[in-house]
Amino acid sequence: MFGKNELYRIDFVLVASVILVVFLGILTIYSAGFDPIDKINSGLYKKQIVWFVAGFILLIMATFLNYQFLGDYSLYIYAFLLFILTVTTIFGTPIRNTRAWLNFGIFSIQPSEFMKLGLVIVLSKYLELRERDIKHMRELVIPALLTLVPVLVILMQPDFGTAAVFIPILFTMLFVGGADVSHLVSFISIAVIAIVVPMFITYREWIGAQESNFLLNFFNDPGLIAIVAGILLLAAIVTYILHFFFVHRLYRKIYIPSSVISLGLFFSIFIQKYLKLYQKRRILVFLNPDLDPHGSGYNVIQSKIAVGAGQFLGKGYLKGSQTQLGFLPEKSSDFIFSVFAEEWGFIGAVVLLALLAAIILRGVQISFESKDKFGALLGSGIVMILFFHVLINLGMVLGIMPVTGLPLPFVSYGGSNLLMSMIAVGILINIRMRKFVY
Amino acid sequence: MYFFLALNSLAFIIILLQLINIQLLQGRDFAERSRMNMENNIPIPAARGELYDRNFELGKKNMVVVSNRPSFNVTTVPASFRDNKKMQETVRLVSRLLKVNADVVLGEIKGRNPWERTVIKEDVDFDTVVTIATHHDKFPFIDWEDSSVRVYNHANMFAHVVGYIGVISKEEYAQLKNQGYRHYQRIGKNGIESQYDRTLRGRDGYVRRVVDVHNRVEGEEIGLEPQAGNNLVLTIDYGIQQAAYEAMENYQGAALVIKAQTGEVLAMVSRPDFDPNAIIARNNFDIIQMLTNDPKRPFLNRVIQSRFPPASTFKIITAIAALEDERWNPATSLFCGGTFTLRGFVDTVFFDYRAHGSLNLYWAIARSCSVYFYQLGLRIGPTVIFNYASHFGLDQRTGIDLPGEITGFIPSKRWKLRVFGQSWYDGDTVNLSIGQGFISVTPIEMANVVAGIVNNGVIYRPVLVREVRSPDNRTVLQRFTPQRQREIPISPSTLGIIREGMRLAVTSGTCSQLSRLPVPIAGKTGTAQTRSNRYEEASQHGWFIGYAPYDGPLEKAVIVVVFVEYGRGGAAAAVPVANKIFAKMIQLGYF
Repeated sequence: MFGKNELYRIDFVLVASVILVVFLGILTIYSAGFDPIDKINSGLYKKQIVWFVAGFILLIMATFLNYQFLGDYSLYIYAFLLFILTVTTIFGTPIRNTRAWLNFGIFSIQPSEFMKLGLVIVLSKYLELRERDIKHMRELVIPALLTLVPVLVILMQPDFGTAAVFIPILFTMLFVGGADVSHLVSFISIAVIAIVVPMFITYREWIGAQESNFLLNFFNDPGLIAIVAGILLLAAIVTYILHFFFVHRLYRKIYIPSSVISLGLFFSIFIQKYLKLYQKRRILVFLNPDLDPHGSGYNVIQSKIAVGAGQFLGKGYLKGSQTQLGFLPEKSSDFIFSVFAEEWGFIGAVVLLALLAAIILRGVQISFESKDKFGALLGSGIVMILFFHVLINLGMVLGIMPVTGLPLPFVSYGGSNLLMSMIAVGILINIRMRKFVY
Repeated sequence: MYFFLALNSLAFIIILLQLINIQLLQGRDFAERSRMNMENNIPIPAARGELYDRNFELGKKNMVVVSNRPSFNVTTVPASFRDNKKMQETVRLVSRLLKVNADVVLGEIKGRNPWERTVIKEDVDFDTVVTIATHHDKFPFIDWEDSSVRVYNHANMFAHVVGYIGVISKEEYAQLKNQGYRHYQRIGKNGIESQYDRTLRGRDGYVRRVVDVHNRVEGEEIGLEPQAGNNLVLTIDYGIQQAAYEAMENYQGAALVIKAQTGEVLAMVSRPDFDPNAIIARNNFDIIQMLTNDPKRPFLNRVIQSRFPPASTFKIITAIAALEDERWNPATSLFCGGTFTLRGFVDTVFFDYRAHGSLNLYWAIARSCSVYFYQLGLRIGPTVIFNYASHFGLDQRTGIDLPGEITGFIPSKRWKLRVFGQSWYDGDTVNLSIGQGFISVTPIEMANVVAGIVNNGVIYRPVLVREVRSPDNRTVLQRFTPQRQREIPISPSTLGIIREGMRLAVTSGTCSQLSRLPVPIAGKTGTAQTRSNRYEEASQHGWFIGYAPYDGPLEKAVIVVVFVEYGRGGAAAAVPVANKIFAKMIQLGYF
């Protein structure tokens, strides 16, 4: 499909970085699976090697196929993946109470991983087609629906962390696609208000805070919130109607924020009322693991101990006591970076971080230089998938972000994420290779 | 698009900063916490030093007063359990097996650091430990350690001398934790065990165990070898102690035998007593409670912790005061008609137990004539008597190596004015001159009075420990040397007169029972009467103070003090006890 000239355009820096990172990952999975007492290994690293080989084949295939075909078939790809995802959610084998895996006997697949890629492809195509009209708010409805449907399906598995990562991907895609920033900010604000208000109340109830003042009483009274929200909504409607007759920027400055606050407050009442206490508490623990030192808080503390104990030079390969003696949980998957940082220290952690940054920044550059809008959107979507995974995973491991259970791309043990990431890199190489072809 | 670059770079910089924070800035703390995760230090208790009687000889069969018996402790580290409920369940289960009160154990666990090892039961037999070891699934994180139980071989006989050990209390721990004491350790609570705790305890070692998250052992090594405590050779002679203990069998009171020229205590008995073996068991509050509430106060070491009027034994002090201060001629005779009337606003009559007729000082001491001393006391006045009582240290601790010693009490004119609002009356002086009234002494102080008389005014500090020996007994680490505690400026002739009087008391006076023994003994008796009910026989406390041999070499001189509370006939009870003690010493070849 491409000649000798095009072969030279394969991004060898990107490929080399990916291979190196995966190699470090396999090395670390070997260490994580090693039991120094019984002197045996869990053998996960062998499986990861197989996944890597399979992933590399898929990567090559992804570079062969013109990425523009992905755009042409985007809806079918999306629909197919959504179908598989739904089937998994209903009929999948539950592992740790989550129906996220399709079991094929010797291996299993997690369709929600590929759904991320499917969403990025379909959003890229949609935003390319609607490039001119995207400033209108109504054009945001379809991307929102395209995102929310798989998110709801994944929430039913239930896999909170994976579902959550779709949201920032949607917003960055819309941003790159040229959506009105004020719209995006408004939606984010509504969501933040809707979440923060009930969480604030739940948190205060949990820790048994007693003091009261005007603001606290207000937040504790749904009736008052409803009245204020209603007044703001009325003001928004009035100014919205007025702005059709008297064209003035002032009206826009009133109805946008007041409708945002009003909707946020309404949703917050809704959440406060219809979410069970344990559900609200689960969200709170998600936001702040320290509230549950025996649960997810324990994991974060052990992870920080592992990373910190690595110090500058690390404890040495296969010599990380946090890892080898089992104090670190989920060491092959979610907390793989802690294993690496414990054994290789700050030096090793910086090298791994640099390699991951190289992959991501290379991806940003590729989408910059893409010859068409679709390529740019697709590239940046893919970069965002990788970026948010890296950010959220490392943030969790280092104790500065909620515990989500998202894997570290290329490094964590897990076939589906590795395959998806390899395909994603293949698509990036593909976009770069074809930037000169018209 | 540049927005992207900025977002990515910012994220990576934040992560890098957090890496620097955790790994470089806080790295040392986290490394320490990682070490704490995997290291589990298990103490190896040091063997506590043994106690022997004075006749200890290396390689011979010795009289072991206190020793140790190997045993097991069942322990747990509460924090090893991930959740509290599982911990409580397991502790309850193992408590049922060990037959201990689970609530008490859980209460103890609650009150301290969950990472510290808590002992669930001590002195567990081997079979029970095997049961726990073979059911590790039922008893997760329940551990055991080698330990030893203190054995007081002669139970009650040495109770007040050696004392006992007990679990370190919260207050003691708070005070001593910086000096190497641990909350699970025992500490001497009384007697030699308390006084020489640091010598006896040694230093615990520990095994450093590397464990994984499920407490599986990855490796162990000895972190610190335990250092056994040193052994003590007591000054107590088992034979004399046994004789004194048995002689006091039916009495409440104290008996003390001291070498005059060194201060070495050869026997120290206080009755009633207790069995230290019963007290050292863990969580036996009821036994301790019972002993503590006993109105006879068995925990009290009456030799050093009880205070009574010295009664007629004090006449010696009055005599010394008169001889020294007034140049009283001992040959001067005074008449005793059985009573003495003190002239005053209202005449007061003081009684003697019989009419002695006319007698000199020697006979007054020998027959314990009170009327003689009433007159003597009035003549010299109370201040001189106070001074000599004070010279002999009757208001000071003797400094014996035991905790909790109290002092006797010497009144004074100012004291009486302050407490009673009255001046010192002649009647008070009359009482004082025969050791009644306000003055009170401890038995060990009276032993020092005799020591001063025998040693020409020199009093040595009483001691109970002769040698400190290394754990294998081969090296003597410290040998006791006599310590002069006080030198009383008294002329030898005065002391000679007193000794003569005391000898006369044995040959033909109040303690003539002792004259039948083949060693010349000198002594003085006393019958203390409490003010409230002075003529009831049961309220009379009997004293005997004395020494032997009367005219032998000084280095052989041994002092015996016997004090019997509520003894029938007062001194009549104390002398037979002294008789048995002297008889035993003769048998043992002391003279």
